[in-house]
Parts: sequence; structure tokens; C-alpha cells
Amino acid sequence: MRWRPFALAAALLVYPLLFRGAFYQDMGALVLIQATSASAWNIVGGYAGQVSVGHAVFFGAGAYLPVLFYELWQLPLFVGVPAGIAVSLAFAFIIGLPTFRLRGHYFSMATIAVAELVRLIVSNSGFLGGAIGLMGPARPRGWWDLVFRSAVPYYYIFLAVLGLVLLATWQMERSRFGYYLRAIRADERAAKSLGVPVSRYKLYAFMLSAAFTAAAGSLYIIKTGFIDPESGFGILVSVQMIIIAALGGAGTLLGPLLGAILLVPLQTATNTWFGGGATGLTYIFYGGIIMLIARFEPGGLIELWRLRIAPLLLRRRGDAHAP
Amino acid sequence: MLLEAKEVSRAFGSFLAVDGASLEIEEGEIVGLIGPNGAGKSTFFNCIAGDLAPTAGRILFAGHDVTERSAEAHARLGIGRTFQVPATFTDMTVLENVMVGAFLRHPERAAARARALEILKRTGLSGVAFQRARGLGTPGRKRLEIARVLATGPRLMLLDEALAGLTPAELQGAIALVRAIHEEGVTLVVVEHIMEVILGLARRVIVFNEGRIIAEGPPQRVVGEPAVIEAYLGRAHLGRRKA
Ligand SMILES: Nc1ncnc2c1ncn2[C@@H]1O[C@H](COP(=O)(O)OP(=O)(O)OP(=O)(O)O)[C@@H](O)[C@H]1O
Ligand SMILES: [Mg+2]
Repeated sequence: MRWRPFALAAALLVYPLLFRGAFYQDMGALVLIQATSASAWNIVGGYAGQVSVGHAVFFGAGAYLPVLFYELWQLPLFVGVPAGIAVSLAFAFIIGLPTFRLRGHYFSMATIAVAELVRLIVSNSGFLGGAIGLMGPARPRGWWDLVFRSAVPYYYIFLAVLGLVLLATWQMERSRFGYYLRAIRADERAAKSLGVPVSRYKLYAFMLSAAFTAAAGSLYIIKTGFIDPESGFGILVSVQMIIIAALGGAGTLLGPLLGAILLVPLQTATNTWFGGGATGLTYIFYGGIIMLIARFEPGGLIELWRLRIAPLLLRRRGDAHAP
Repeated sequence: MLLEAKEVSRAFGSFLAVDGASLEIEEGEIVGLIGPNGAGKSTFFNCIAGDLAPTAGRILFAGHDVTERSAEAHARLGIGRTFQVPATFTDMTVLENVMVGAFLRHPERAAARARALEILKRTGLSGVAFQRARGLGTPGRKRLEIARVLATGPRLMLLDEALAGLTPAELQGAIALVRAIHEEGVTLVVVEHIMEVILGLARRVIVFNEGRIIAEGPPQRVVGEPAVIEAYLGRAHLGRRKA
């Protein structure tokens, strides 16, 4: 079964060469951003089982700081990327330190509260563009502004960043850190009794997750050159990450990528069919997906495959050595 | 003295589940802890293991005062415990469950894996190492509880009904396993309702009733003490309060 990730990587590498239309290439880039942010969410929400409903705060910070640096000092967008990551780390620390000591849903509630608060503050801050938002350089002043007419260069930059996030997750999965996070998700009390420093590891996972989510936000601003409070800090940004990860399989390496490959084109299609008036429909659609996952396979599509479909296929083939 | 509990109490609201319990355990002992349902045995274990903070009293382990320390710190110091209701990591394989314990003393994955495989062999779980722990029945899960704690390299192991629910044949194997663990120098405190287990393992038993220690000594003598008989029969007379 080891060939599958490589086949997936190869398919992603050649995709923009096979689908040459701007529509498909743009969509491909969007899939990669969403896969990156959902994979980042997955570290804390999937592996560690600590469901953040406010990851938009990191996405937004990652998107806003580069464009703020441009607004203030005309710096190229990529210069602000580390600042977005640093601010996200600080936010994660401030939210995580007090709430991870408590049992129950304090963490989820704190994330959503902070994200909404930040969205309101940003919407009302003139120097951040208020409700209208901020814009990056309209014309490239040099290659360093990373303004390209085609989506293809963005696509490959995004693919590299996604690769990095997945590589880090894979490393984590195979180390003590990953085992500890999964133990924490399964049973915190038992994890503690085996010497797992539960609060500390949750905090590490949250901070790592926040940093990668900020990177996804930076990718977004670099490509679109424009950000407003809703697309940076809006609740839908957070929910999108959760849905994508949960659909593909939260707590699995490739689940979020799979979820993005399935969901983003579907959304693009429905948006095209229904035009701009489909926002309400989006919520209904998300609600439906959440219910289906919760009812039939909380492990998402990857678990559905591993636990139900693959064994069925193996049996039909008469294969005796199932994994 | 490896473990010393001084006047340990634990209240839930106004109810005292453990009420001024004191005991001393020497390195290398196997001590049985018995008592009727609801006597406070598990609560006392939770206090010793750092899972619950005592509301009064002190607990010393190997000379350190561990009363206020976290459960993780207890594990690091060498206090391991099993849960009466197995707290299995069901989504992980049996091997991965044990590796979580092994990581405490072996931070590298390969070393933790090797250690966990060794322990699975000793505890008779090698055959299911790569299965998800969800598939294990109660006897398997109880055994996994022991394996996981053993992997943390404890000096003191607290077994909370780790041998309950086994068939007579399985029981003999489990008793032999506990003896083998003891022979390697691990000190044990064993909570068990089955007298056969207590008589087969412990030289000394401590009897709990309503949060207090009511008797202590060699098992044969203790089970004959009037206070102990009354604690058990009194309950039987009134009917068991809890199923
Ligand atoms: N978290 C809790 N909150 C309130 N009461 C509790 C709690 N834990 C235990 N108790 C009560 O404390 C008493 C002692 O319970 P404990 O589980 O320690 O008994 P036990 O001796 O282990 O019994 P058993 O043999 O049934 O396992 C019981 O009356 C129980 O209902
Ligand atoms: Mg008990």
C-alpha cells in the first residue's frame, strides 16, 4: 500500500500540466491552500483530538501581517510571513496555556471566542482596512512581489508548502510526540498515568498547528493580493478546515488532503451553479456533511476505506493476509 | 520505606470516600488491598497515583513528598497504576498502546518499540500486537493495562482488580505473571476481590471499609478478624448498595 502516497504526489505534480484552463489551475491552487490549512488543523484537532473552532485567527494573522507590512512599509509580501507565524504562535500560547489545564470544552469555546473577537476588532480597525480589508501590490515591482498572471507558479509554491506540512506531520506521527497526541485524544487520564505531560503536549500541538495555519493564510494573500475580515477571520474559514479534515479523515496523514480534493471542486461547482446567493446553502451543506460523518464513520473516508471497504475487497479476492 | 501514606483523606462534597488512611509499604513487598464494594480502594489508589489530590494527609514516595505532584510526575518517579475499568487507547494497536508507556524511559521510537515488543511477549499479547485494541475483550484489555504500566518501568505498581473477570485457567497465568513482575524487583499493591488471588500473592493484606483501614496483617489471620467478617457480612446482610 506504500505506493498510494507516491501516486498522489505524482498526480498533484502533473495536474496543472494536464488541466491547462485557468479555471482548473486556480481551483488546483485553492485545493492546495485548503489542504494545507486543514492538514495544519489536523495536528491539534485530529491527532490530539482538541477541536479548535477558531483556527481562522491564525489563517487571518498569516494573511493580514504580510499585507500590513506592505501597507506600512511597502515590503514584499513574503517578508511579513514570519511575522504572521509569530503572531499566531503568540495567540496559540495565550489561548492554550490557560484552557488546556481545564477539562471539558473550554478550549473549543475559547478558540471560537478569540477568533470572533479578533474578527470584530479587525473589522473596526482603520489601519487594518476595517470591514473593507487590505490590498497587496497591484503590479509587480519585481519578482519578489510574487505577482504572476498564471496560477501555475502559485500552484507549485503551494504544493511545496503542503509537502512541508505533510512531511512534518509524517515525522510527528512516527515519533513520541505523535504517539502521545493520539494517546491524549483516546484517554487523557490514562495518558497522564503513563507519564504523558498532557497539557504541555497539547500546547505544542496547538502551536505547531497555528504556525502552519498561518503559513496557509500567507499563501492565500500572496495569491489573491487581497484580504478582508470575513475571508481572513470569518467563522466559515475555521469550519471549512474542520469539515475538510473530518471528511477525509481527522487524525490521518492524508485525510485532509483527500477531503480538500473532494470538497473544494464541489464547492466551486455549487458556487458557479447557484451564483453568490448560495451562502445559506453552504451552511446547510456543511451541516449535512457533519451529520453524515458523525453518523456513519467518525474516522472519515480514510477510515471508511481501511475498516470497511478494503477488507471487503480483500475478502472477495480471497486474500488471506489482510493487514 | 518505598511508600508512606499519612492520614490520607479524600472527600467528594461532604462524603468521605477515604477517611484518614495510613499505611507503609516496603520496597519488594506484595500487599493485598481488600474490602467490600465502595470501601474506597480505588479512590485511595487514585490518590497514591496522583490522579486525585487528597483533601488531607501526605503521601511520601521514596522519600519525596508527592502529595501535590501531577499524575505524570508520579509515573516519572516510578508509580504505575492500572485502571479498574480498562482505559484502553482503542484506536491504537495493542503494540502502540504499550509503546506509549515505553516512551517514558525510551524516547526514541525504535527503542520504545523494541521494549514494547518484549513486554508483549512476556504478557502473552504478542499474537494481537498489530490488532487495534478496540477488538480486545475484557481479559485482553486487563492484560494490556498491566503491559502498558510495565512498559513505564515502575518501582511500584498499583493493580486495581487487574485480574478480575478471568477464567480459572487464565487466572493462574495472570498470577504467575504478577509473581514474575515481583521477582524482578517491582513492589506491588493489589486490589482484588478474589481471595484466591490475594492468598496466592500477598503476605500482607490491608482491609478497607467505609474509607478506613480496619485490619492489617497476614491474609489467613486477617480474614478471621471479627471486624473484617462484619464489614463483609454486614454489607451482605443489608444487601449490596452498589451492583
Ligand atoms: N468521583 C467521585 N465522585 C463522587 N463519589 C465518588 C467518586 N469516586 C468514588 N466515589 C464514591 O466513593 C466511594 C468509594 O468508591 P471507590 O471506587 O473508591 O470504592 P472501591 O473500594 O474501589 O469499590 P469497588 O470494589 O466497587 O471498586 C463510593 O461510595 C463511590 O460512590
Ligand atoms: Mg474500585
